Amino acid sequence: MHFDPVANLQLLVSGLAFGSIYALVALGFVLIYNAVGVVNFAQGEFVMFPSYIAVTFLLPATTVFGTIVHWQLPIVGVYLLVLVLMVGFGLLFNRIAYHPLRDRGWMPVVISTIGVSIFLRNAAQLIWGSQPIVMPSLFAVDTISIGPLHISPQDLLIIGVTAVLIAFQFFLFERTTLGKQMRATAQDRATARLVGVRVGRIVAITFVYSALLGTISGLLVAPLFTVTKEMGALIALKAFAASIVGGFGSIPGAIIGGLAIGVIETFGGFYISSAYVDAIAFIILISVLLVRPQGLFGERVAEKA
Amino acid sequence: MTRYPSRRIAIALLIVVLAVLPAFVHSDYLLSLVDTAGIYAIVVMGLGILLGFAGQLSLAQAAFLGIGAYTSGWLTTNLGWPAWPSMGVAMALSALVGFVVGYPCLRLSGHYLALATIGFGIITQLVLINWKSVTNGSDGMGNIPAPQIGSFVFDTYGRYYYVVLVAVIACAYVGWRIKTTRVGRALEAIRENEIAARATGIDATRYKIIAFVLAGTYAGLAGSLLAHMTKFISPDSYSFDQSVVFLVMLIVGGSASISGAILGAVLLWFLPEVLRPLKTSYIMVYGAAVIAMIIFMPRGLVGVFETLRSRFARRGAA
Repeated sequence: MHFDPVANLQLLVSGLAFGSIYALVALGFVLIYNAVGVVNFAQGEFVMFPSYIAVTFLLPATTVFGTIVHWQLPIVGVYLLVLVLMVGFGLLFNRIAYHPLRDRGWMPVVISTIGVSIFLRNAAQLIWGSQPIVMPSLFAVDTISIGPLHISPQDLLIIGVTAVLIAFQFFLFERTTLGKQMRATAQDRATARLVGVRVGRIVAITFVYSALLGTISGLLVAPLFTVTKEMGALIALKAFAASIVGGFGSIPGAIIGGLAIGVIETFGGFYISSAYVDAIAFIILISVLLVRPQGLFGERVAEKA
Repeated sequence: MTRYPSRRIAIALLIVVLAVLPAFVHSDYLLSLVDTAGIYAIVVMGLGILLGFAGQLSLAQAAFLGIGAYTSGWLTTNLGWPAWPSMGVAMALSALVGFVVGYPCLRLSGHYLALATIGFGIITQLVLINWKSVTNGSDGMGNIPAPQIGSFVFDTYGRYYYVVLVAVIACAYVGWRIKTTRVGRALEAIRENEIAARATGIDATRYKIIAFVLAGTYAGLAGSLLAHMTKFISPDSYSFDQSVVFLVMLIVGGSASISGAILGAVLLWFLPEVLRPLKTSYIMVYGAAVIAMIIFMPRGLVGVFETLRSRFARRGAA
């Protein structure tokens, strides 16, 4: 196969777009892990559930509980509505799945997030049925041409929004009191509490923020696939892999790990094997774990929790 | 065990009750559920040795179940082997894979080990789907024969029940022996504090690998038993979600004991059946029930039983 710069550039853009989604979801994982020391196994449902809510109000007609409804709203209104609902969702998640178990170590919380995941996936099936739903794209065309390149505008939107969110993330953590309180809580809860940080509130905010990151990834990625109850699961597992490849607990690690996995996976799927494309993330993961368990940007500890 | 002669009697009674159970269950469907519950109990006991005894979390139990099932399926349908030796090879191969995977992975712990095993599980399932010349891909493998002794074929759920029962008892016995002997104490020391365990001269790596290999072997045996019972296997049964179900069974049952593993497997396997009148919402309720159980039963079902028993004993003494 001869080297085709145009095709490779197109693959790169597409890989960066997928990588951006992994990076946003990985960021959600890492923020929760840093705040409460637990991996949230319902992170994929933070992507899936808001996507369903969004299509319900974006399409002229959707089926809810077996009856056809016509709830179409203007697109900006829908996005705002979904974000507001997911703030409530994040608070509720903290209250039910984390708060009662906060003093019992990490395993019970992991199990309860698994319970939430089972609950939400099947709630989605109950409400919206098992047929995949297509989310309408914001754009009228599938590809735009830039010189010889044919690029999906949705990919560019994903990369752009992710860049803005990452910039916001650094602004939040470096420049605002809230961000500093979040970092303090992640580093040492007891000391953070001693200096007046209201740790419980910061944890709740972290869950909400993480849910919103999932929501935005869902709204961005859904037009590329379809909305199904399984859509979040594999994204979340790969994002989890990405956060470990980058170095678990490290925010730049999660972002770079996510982008790297997206790009390598896209090239691997094209040049090596499309049947095993979903294995690529985990092969990278296991290789990194064996060679450099702390990840690319991680601390030199194999497990801090 | 010698301190509790009543406990021995209770176990003997339980075995007798279990031995005559099929005589009272006439529904084939119910018997198939009972058989599957027993098989899942074996997988969960294996996970219990790894997580409950040694404190190492694996989410690859479904992959080992698949390796066991496909080894049995391939040997019997492609090479025409009888069922029993296929089961033996299925266990041996699962043990070998457990060793090969466990050796590098057990340098990791906690969330990292969990994720490495998730990765192994997903890769295994992709291989089962895509290695069509051996596994027949998504179409699955059919016509897997039932085991037989002489001319007696274990081809009904009622008959197969005894194969499963013997396997469950054997696995439970091995599990109990492990817990009460040197290996179990070493694993417990590693679970509580690996650095301290190493300082007292316990070869932690070796014992963790033993636990990982045992967990794989249990799951491999269970997979083989499942293949010879259902006669048909396909890759979608060996998913990450299935591994998660095994983990939930163990935690809900009570992870640090063999009886907890069995209780959790049986209860959570039958819970959806009990909830089935709720029709489409039953798995949703199942998810909610898992959250409620983890919040309100900190030590699992075993913990609930122990609390009840001590209350009962106190009342008896007064």
